[in-house]
Amino acid sequence: MTEALVQHTLGAYLKALFDTDKATALRIVQEALDNHMTPESVIFDVVVPGMEQMIGGMISDNQITLSQHFLASQIAEEVTDRLLPLFSSAPAIQGTVVIGTSFGDFHGLGKKIVTGCLRARMFQIIDLGINVAPERFIEAALETGAEVIGISSMMVHTATGDRGPKKVRQLLREQGLEQKIRLIVGGAPYRFHENLYREVGANAWADTAASAPAVVAALVKEVRQ
Amino acid sequence: MTTGMDRFAALLTGKRPDRVPIVCNLLDQGAKEMGVSLKEYYSRGDLVAEGQLRMREKYGYDTLLGMFYSALEAEALGCRNIIYADDGPPNIGHLVIGSTGDITKLRLPEDLDDNPRFREMTACIGHLKRESAGRWPVLGVVTASFSLPAMLMGIGPYIDLFLNGDTKLLDHLLTLCSQFCSRQIIALREAGADLIVYANPVASATFITTSKFRELALPWVIRDLEQPGPAGVIFFNGGGRINPILADLKRHTGLGAFYLNPFDDIAEARSTLGPNALIVGAINDIRLIDWSPLEIDREVERLMLTGKQAGGFIFGTLLMPFSIPEPNIRAMMSAAVSYGNYGSEDACANQN
Repeated sequence: MTEALVQHTLGAYLKALFDTDKATALRIVQEALDNHMTPESVIFDVVVPGMEQMIGGMISDNQITLSQHFLASQIAEEVTDRLLPLFSSAPAIQGTVVIGTSFGDFHGLGKKIVTGCLRARMFQIIDLGINVAPERFIEAALETGAEVIGISSMMVHTATGDRGPKKVRQLLREQGLEQKIRLIVGGAPYRFHENLYREVGANAWADTAASAPAVVAALVKEVRQ
Repeated sequence: MTTGMDRFAALLTGKRPDRVPIVCNLLDQGAKEMGVSLKEYYSRGDLVAEGQLRMREKYGYDTLLGMFYSALEAEALGCRNIIYADDGPPNIGHLVIGSTGDITKLRLPEDLDDNPRFREMTACIGHLKRESAGRWPVLGVVTASFSLPAMLMGIGPYIDLFLNGDTKLLDHLLTLCSQFCSRQIIALREAGADLIVYANPVASATFITTSKFRELALPWVIRDLEQPGPAGVIFFNGGGRINPILADLKRHTGLGAFYLNPFDDIAEARSTLGPNALIVGAINDIRLIDWSPLEIDREVERLMLTGKQAGGFIFGTLLMPFSIPEPNIRAMMSAAVSYGNYGSEDACANQN
């Protein structure tokens, strides 16, 4: 396997992501494996950089669209799931994240995009789905030893309401869990209001799905210190 | 007294009104005004109409909004569970299309009025039209065919379908959604809506690239408007940026009014659209929740200066969150009236 092959594969993969062409993206992954690229290299040299360059908006002057975000993350998750069992040794898990949409919120797109990004970066994800009660976030984090709870909200009232992140923060405080579990939020309302995450009691928010792994990694590090 | 209708009529005939018309999309706040829960509020068209009339009177903006909530369209197509909140719009709790196999089972109602909630909404529009007596344009709202499936099957599966799914199934689904959209526009006009707000968030540049817009979404905009015609229809961003698709919309659809996103540049939109199209510039209404009156004043001033310079300008909001405090709505309105004033000497002068 040569550096030239990696660069060629990454370039072709990026083009397929930009064109939202899933079939071609998956075919490029398969061709790379057929050309003896290791599963580890496919993930860390093609799929993850592809996803991060795509979602980070580094391959176009135009802003990247949600459908491109969605597809890049979806393919990353699918390929990661398929190739992880083929790794020569089990990868180190970077941390565990319990994720879901806030109570009363039935919009799962943002959560899905972030989940794909985190899984490809070797975080273990406990996906609680949509419309999640605040108590359930705490319960799942305790059951799985998660360092981070991630709450996605599409609507202002589910981001700021009494049964959303604010309640999760209250429960963390009441149960003395604030040093053990960090809270991150994301979703449309936070993009319109950069300080909203503080007002709902979160430790952090990520501007893009691509930046989520770094922000979550920093939170995991804080907890583990 | 100059009315909202006078202001819109002036703009539509290329004249300058006394001040920039103001569209203030207060919706769920009407329940608070009427002292009832959101669930009760949206069960009766007369309550919603009265709520809208009181809010227009209270704040002094220029339109009346004949809308209940977006999920109503999914209800009319078979959604069996609507989740109500105390402090925000009702949400869809049941997807009509649970798997792509359900697409072929989707049926349009014989008569839109078969749905009691739709009937209440058209009754609300009729009520607003009568009470307005020609003073305030009544807005009806429809979801474009290209965006409607997101409410029927969820946005993730819908993106999968339109990007990489079965094209025949997609075409079947969008054909039904387009028929539904066209019929709604006609029904809302018959009920009394003066202007139709055509919401198409999934077609916006926030969701898809401009090339995908041309390939996948634009043909359905044209088809939605074919039967009802584009007159009096305003293309609404629905929360996404639309500047990158304005040139195609202008060239191919016959639409003459465009409701921008707060992140769309107004001057750029005018340059793309040329002198005749109407532009609605929207304030970032999530920030209205906690901006100070001074910050609101400054932002409205900025928007009005840019908008007045662009010409053919209407000041607007997106769908205003329930938690915006009343004093902040008043601060926005006061600034909009003040900075939107063209001065009496210029009123009704030709502006283009």
